[in-house]
Amino acid sequence: MNRDSDPMDNAGLDALFAEARAAEPEPVSPEFQARLIEAAWVARPRRPGWWQRLSAAFSDPLGLPGLAGVGVAGLAGLWIGVAAPGPTADLVSTFWQGAAGVAPAAARLSANESDIFSSSGNELLSLLGDGIE
Amino acid sequence: MPRDTALTQTTADGPSDEALLARYAGGEALAARLLIERLAPRIFRLARRLLQDSAEAEDVTQEALLRLWQIAPRWVPGGAQPATWLHRVAVNLATDRLRRRRGVGLDTIDEPDDPTPGALDGMIEGDRRRALDEALALLPERQRVAVVLRHLEGLTNPEIGASMGLGVEAVESLTARGKRRLTELLSGRREDLGYER
Repeated sequence: MNRDSDPMDNAGLDALFAEARAAEPEPVSPEFQARLIEAAWVARPRRPGWWQRLSAAFSDPLGLPGLAGVGVAGLAGLWIGVAAPGPTADLVSTFWQGAAGVAPAAARLSANESDIFSSSGNELLSLLGDGIE
Repeated sequence: MPRDTALTQTTADGPSDEALLARYAGGEALAARLLIERLAPRIFRLARRLLQDSAEAEDVTQEALLRLWQIAPRWVPGGAQPATWLHRVAVNLATDRLRRRRGVGLDTIDEPDDPTPGALDGMIEGDRRRALDEALALLPERQRVAVVLRHLEGLTNPEIGASMGLGVEAVESLTARGKRRLTELLSGRREDLGYER
């Protein structure tokens, strides 16, 4: 190519660059665009569930991760106070039946659970001790 | 980053790219579709110019957009525009591919002595931009990347150097040689390009 006889000077090349910069690109193919949209859908951010949000709220309170346990314990205490656990009679009854198996002398108290709470610790221990002996 | 390129121009009509990205982060799928329609064509054109391979250009476009979706929930408004950010990611992805394609760094590649000058003879009549793209395709790879990033994408020489792993002087040299070669390739096509002799 003979540059001297037929030069494409810098001005011409710069004009070409300017045209190319200003030109709108052609749209991508419909198939490719569909793939891009599908990929965006798959990658879409998901709104965290209530548990994730709660965990996040307590994971770093006041910027102090060490307070996370305090926060969770506080929440648990609040829940216990509000929810007001039910009667413990079933729990006591289950315990006492098991104790009667080990110390039969204690069985006579199981008929009236209120006796348990009115007995002193020494009295209860002596009943258990009688059964074991 | 590009300052004088149409890539960073915002659309006058409708919400900004940032607003759309925020809506996508909020779970609005339609926002992603609008962003794709706005941004994907330019990214694909850039990648194809750099890579000279449509399939690889699609991969780069998809990967760059995927990274945009992933960062959407953490996007900080008022910083870089999504188009500029995406452009940078695409340039890096494309230049990484060029390095892997050769298996060595771009700066260690020996350039061919001369691209095939006869290829221009087969160029059918087309517009000036097509002629430019065809001439760009004939440039040695490093020259093409430097010229495209400098003169079509508006990056500065230090930015190009960072993307290509080269010093500024090497970038200047590549750009100058690329422009000189383009001038040679296009010099015989003044009439085809619409310039009078």
